[in-house]
Amino acid sequence: MKALILLGCPESPSQTPMAVYASYKLNKLGYDVTIASTPAASKLLEISDPEGIYIKNRINIDKSLSNLDEGQYGLLVGFVPKDAAASYFVTFYHILQTKSIAIVFEKDQDILDNLTNIIEESTEADIVSIRAYHNPTPIRVKFDKAIAKLGDN
Amino acid sequence: MSFCLDTYLQQSDDYGILLSRAGFKDCAKIINEKSEEVWHVNAGETVLGARIIGIPPIPIGVNPKKHTIIISYTKPCHGTAAIEIPVKDEDIEEIWKVVNENTRK
Repeated sequence: MKALILLGCPESPSQTPMAVYASYKLNKLGYDVTIASTPAASKLLEISDPEGIYIKNRINIDKSLSNLDEGQYGLLVGFVPKDAAASYFVTFYHILQTKSIAIVFEKDQDILDNLTNIIEESTEADIVSIRAYHNPTPIRVKFDKAIAKLGDN
Repeated sequence: MSFCLDTYLQQSDDYGILLSRAGFKDCAKIINEKSEEVWHVNAGETVLGARIIGIPPIPIGVNPKKHTIIISYTKPCHGTAAIEIPVKDEDIEEIWKVVNENTRK
């Protein structure tokens, strides 16, 4: 089954290591993983995984959106560190109409709550919501629980 | 040739930016305030050759007398902007078709 990992602006330091980790975990579950991102976020991934051991496919986020069709991926995992990323996630969710997980993370609790509410009100995605910025470990712990549910289903 | 929003924004300077580097909700508010008519589309609908990004229902402001529309435009690292762009009557008709298709869904 194909999975799409959607990245936001790479300004948040936890995003790149979590994207590599999420790709690794989904590969282990048998997913064919593609990561859609900005060119800057893609370059961070390329340098983090130079031999493409964990990340097999990378695609430009806007090109990906232009060619996206319902059911094209069996799973959408979206990183939501900013308002724009919430808009992208909701848009990809409504086009794909597929099983989805939103990883919402921010250091400010009010902004985090606002981003989480946007996703809750606009989608039926599973939501991993966590106060985090530099340290990806709290995100990883909650993401593992969400991924474990996928394995159970 | 049909209108392409991304190309237009790169190659033209006759559009207005009502709000930039903002959140989607603030841009939606400006669109509602500054438009003669407001139509709504779903997230991901193609309007003027580009997929509209945002939280549905996404407002499209239409100003028939000025021949402009106001839409939200989102980029991952730059947030959302509300932009007013000049359009032809046939562009407005194309958007109306998208709105009608949304209504029937």
